[in-house]
This record gives sequence, structure tokens and C-alpha cells, in this order.
Amino acid sequence: MKYFRLIWRNVFRKKTRMILTTSSIILVLVLIVVLTSLLQAMQQDPSGGRGANRLVVQHATGLANFLPLSQRQRIEQIPGVVAVSPQIWFGGVYKDDRPENFFGQLSADPEIYFDKVFDDATIDPAVKAQWKANRNSFVAGEAIVKKFGWKPGEHVVLRGTYIPISLDLVFAGSFKAGDESNVFFHNEYLNQSKWFGADKYTGIYYLKVQSADDVPRVAAAIDQMFENSDAPTKTLTEKQFQLQFMEMLGSVKFLVRGISLIILFAVTLIVANTVAMSARERVTEIAVMRTLGFRRTHILGFILSESVLMSLIGGVLGVLLARYFFIPGMVKGMQTTPMAPFLLNFRVTVPTLAAAFGISVGVGVLAGFVPAIRSSQIRIVDGLRQVV
Amino acid sequence: MAEPLIRIEHVEKVYRRAAIEIPVLRDIQLDIPEGEYVALMGPSGSGKTTLLNLIAGIDQPTSGRIIIGGRDIATLGQTELATWRSHTVGFIFQLYNLLPVLTAFENVELPLLLTRLKKSERKKHVETVLTIVGLADRMDHYPRQLSGGQEQRVAIARAIVSDPKILVADEPTGDLDAKSGEEILELLRRLNEEFGKTIVMVTHDPKAAGRAHRMIHLDKGVLHADERTETGAMRPE
Repeated sequence: MKYFRLIWRNVFRKKTRMILTTSSIILVLVLIVVLTSLLQAMQQDPSGGRGANRLVVQHATGLANFLPLSQRQRIEQIPGVVAVSPQIWFGGVYKDDRPENFFGQLSADPEIYFDKVFDDATIDPAVKAQWKANRNSFVAGEAIVKKFGWKPGEHVVLRGTYIPISLDLVFAGSFKAGDESNVFFHNEYLNQSKWFGADKYTGIYYLKVQSADDVPRVAAAIDQMFENSDAPTKTLTEKQFQLQFMEMLGSVKFLVRGISLIILFAVTLIVANTVAMSARERVTEIAVMRTLGFRRTHILGFILSESVLMSLIGGVLGVLLARYFFIPGMVKGMQTTPMAPFLLNFRVTVPTLAAAFGISVGVGVLAGFVPAIRSSQIRIVDGLRQVV
Repeated sequence: MAEPLIRIEHVEKVYRRAAIEIPVLRDIQLDIPEGEYVALMGPSGSGKTTLLNLIAGIDQPTSGRIIIGGRDIATLGQTELATWRSHTVGFIFQLYNLLPVLTAFENVELPLLLTRLKKSERKKHVETVLTIVGLADRMDHYPRQLSGGQEQRVAIARAIVSDPKILVADEPTGDLDAKSGEEILELLRRLNEEFGKTIVMVTHDPKAAGRAHRMIHLDKGVLHADERTETGAMRPE
């Protein structure tokens, strides 16, 4: 500790250089912490365990294919199934094509949806009653209502894309839940409209079973039931259903990690250059210190500590910025986007913090190693003779 | 007769540049008793600084022995030599060589960081030596806030703070005006007379050399003359 003052002062010797180098470390750490936290969040259960006894039934070949509505009754008869809500992802355009106007639009069965399936959401009974009573009404997550400023009774028109109809919906009210990025409207509105799937098909079945213990048995029973039909199914837990979107991003994950590594390597070179320049400018000082009795190991330790300290300062600031500025900002900004379910767990975890700390120290050690060795090897008489 | 503090026996120093050998010191033999103040003089390239570096233990002779306090320092390893230097030798440079990021106090405290002294003890030592050199009121000043003479006095305080027996000074007044140079020479005299420090000083200035007890002349790496100065003549043997 008695050497800390000297190390600290040397780190801040050239303030502009220090600020520029530290900024590059900060940026890299922000990037790594944000991306790592996001990838982690996307791999976690968006319901935080509350959806443990919910299942999603989709077509075995993927979400692009519909399932016949006739399957609903047969699924309901499987022992352990509490409720089944057919749902269709409408994917319509609200106002215009701009991404900020995009949100999740799903049909559901209002009679059972908030009572038996999505029962961890909070909804005013009066709003729920109104939604049930009016075929063209819809409810929306509170975050999305705040974003668009909808008032009860307001008409919202959604222009269909792959389902070639427009929905003229009336806002009934909002609900509170972990994921507030979706709006829900009546299945019947779609079923009574003119499109090829009306009253015949659904996108998925969202269902609730008695307990989490029933989940494997019910999932197997459903898939077995339709195994040899025209529309074989694939039944997933809610978590698996969300994770399949992540699997689609498999190569993106690899790419993100690859780019992070390259950036990390680049910043290591930047820090190494800074440390090397700083050490080169102090050849005479280092020789003087050796004259005073400081050993080679002291010099090695000082230069390495300076490098690690500089890297740690950048790392700590980067993590703080990511934790208290970038991640909350991203969560706020993406609350009403389809990314919303993943944002529930979007936070800096202890392992990420430990990794960020390790990365900072690692960059410092790697960057400082060669300059530290070189500085410690300088012959005193050569150092004293040098004019920098 | 008592053993001299510094004994140099048949020391040779040869620099090698590729295949060329450049002899810098040739068969130097020299004894410096404890408490003596010696001036090394000679033209540029005569080997004065090389001899000073050998005495200070920051360079190694090609051959010969350098016995200081009864110990042949030419046989010491780098780590042992560093420890030996921190206890035995104080170095004063022409260009002061203070660390610009540290205050006067912190610069002087630097050699003490290598000891086991507590912070309060270090403070006491530093304040004492800064008082000796007359800079007790400039402890918190950075080198850039001091004049050349003041910087050199801080450097002298740094050299004596660990109470070494030997002070080596490489042209300590070379970068100073006449008045400041005079103050530094007076300070060195006091350190020699009042505190018993053995001083070996390289200088080009005959006036500065006249303050020493002995003047040793080197030319082309050979010791040419070793004479007592007027100051030295008045000093009891």
C-alpha cells in the first residue's frame, strides 16, 4: 500500500492520454457487460418461474404453420390440463412501418385468458369484464399503454400483414405483468373476419396444467395424440418456447462473442501502447529509482500495477455505466418492443461482474507485461544516460 | 593503519560495441578513507562518471575489486547490490532527477519506502533532512514549483535520508547558477564535516573541487594525479 500513491500518480501523469485510454476500456467493458447481460437474460425464464406450469403447443414444423382449432377440445380432455387458449400472432401495422410502432398483437380467449392461463397478470375486474363483453375490444400491457397514451374507448386500427385483414379495435384497459409489451384481442374477432384461417386455424395453444409435475406428461401426451395427424404438434414449456427464439440467434451469439474478443484484443494493444509510452518516457526516473535501491521486481510490479490500475479504473467505470445507465436505458427503451420478455432478467449478474473484473485485470496484465519486463531490465547506467 | 572505507584495486572497465572494445578505466587503484571528501576531475570521456558509478554500485568493473566497507561489491548480485545501495550510498545527480509526480516530501521519502519504518517514523526522518537542507517550508511543493537550487537540495535530502556512509555526486553544481552552486557546495561541506559523510564528487569546476580534501585527476581512463587541496591540507590526518 505504501507504493500506491506513486503508482496512482504515475497513472494520472498524462491526463489526456489516461482519459483517452481509459475511455476505450470503458467503451469495451460497457459493450461486453451489456451484451453478456442481454444474452444471459435471453436465456432465462422470462416468467421468473411463474410460468412453470404453462405449456405452448405449436406446429411440429415451426411457428410458420397453423394448427387446426379442432385440436383444442382434444387437448382440454387430457387429464391435468386446466385451460387452453388458442392464440394467433397477428403481426399487424399500427400507424406506420416504423419499428417504434411495433408491438406484440395476440388473439386470446377472453373467457379464460386472465382467469386461468395468464393468471399471474393483474387486471382490473371491470376492465376484464368489459374486454369479455365486447368482441372488438382489446387490453394492453401498461407499458405499451403509457407509450401510446391510449384512453379507454379509443379506436386502434391494426393493418394486417400475413393475415390480410384490418382490425378496428377499441381499447378496454390495461393489465400489469412482467411482460407488458403485448395487446390481446378476441379470437372471435379473427374467427368472424374474412381470411382463410377464420374459425379453422390458430397459431399456437397456450395452456395451463394443474402443476409443474404434470408438465412432462401432458406435453408428451399432446404430441403423441397428434403425432400421425395432418398437423403434428410440438409442445414446449413457456421457457423452452422463449428459448427457441434464442436458438435462432445461435450464430448471432457466436458472432457477438467473436467481435467482443477482437475488440478486447484491440483495447489490450491500446493499453499496452499507453503503458509502453509511459514507461519509455520514464527510463531515467526508473534508473534513478534503481539507484535508490529499488529492485527489478519493484519496477516490474510498479509498471504492471499501473497497467492493471488503469485497466481496472476503466473496467469499474464501464461496469457502472452499463449497470446504472445503459442497461436501464435499454430496458426503458425496449419495454414496448417484442424484446420485452427478455428484459425482465436484463441485469448485471454477479458472474458478469466477476467476468468484467477478470477481463479488466487480464487486459491490464497482458498490456503491461512486456513494458514492465523491459523497464525492469534497463541497465541503470544506460537509463541515467538517456535523454527523453 | 585503518582499512579505507573505499578501496579500488586494479579496476578496469571496458565497453564493448559489437567487436570493438573501448577501454574506459585502466588499472585504477585508489583508497578513500571514511569521512574524506574527494573530487574527481578530468576532461570529458576521461572515465570520471564511470568510476563514480562503480563506487556507487550501479555498474560493474570488467576486472579488479571494489571493496567498500570491507565488502567486494563487484561480486554482489543485482538484488544484493540494490539492497547494499539503499543502505550505503546516496546519489546526487547533475539534473537533480526528482520524480515530478511526487512532492518534495514524497521524493525524499522514496528511499525510506524500502525500509521497515512506520509512516510516522518516515515522516520524522524526512522532516529532519528537509530541515537540514533548509527546505522545511517547501515540503508540499512539487519539483516544478522549486528553483534549480531548491530541487538539488531536495535531491541531497533524498540522498541522505537513509543515512548512508557515502555520498556520490555527479557534477552537483553543473546545472546551477553561481549562488545556488555555492549553497550546494556549502551543504556538501556541512554533510562531510558535521555528519561525517564520505563524499565522492565528479566536477569540472576547479573552485568546487577546491572545497574537497583531495583532487583526483583522470585522463583517458588513467589516474594521473592525486593531490590534497588546501582544504585537505588543513584537515588533520
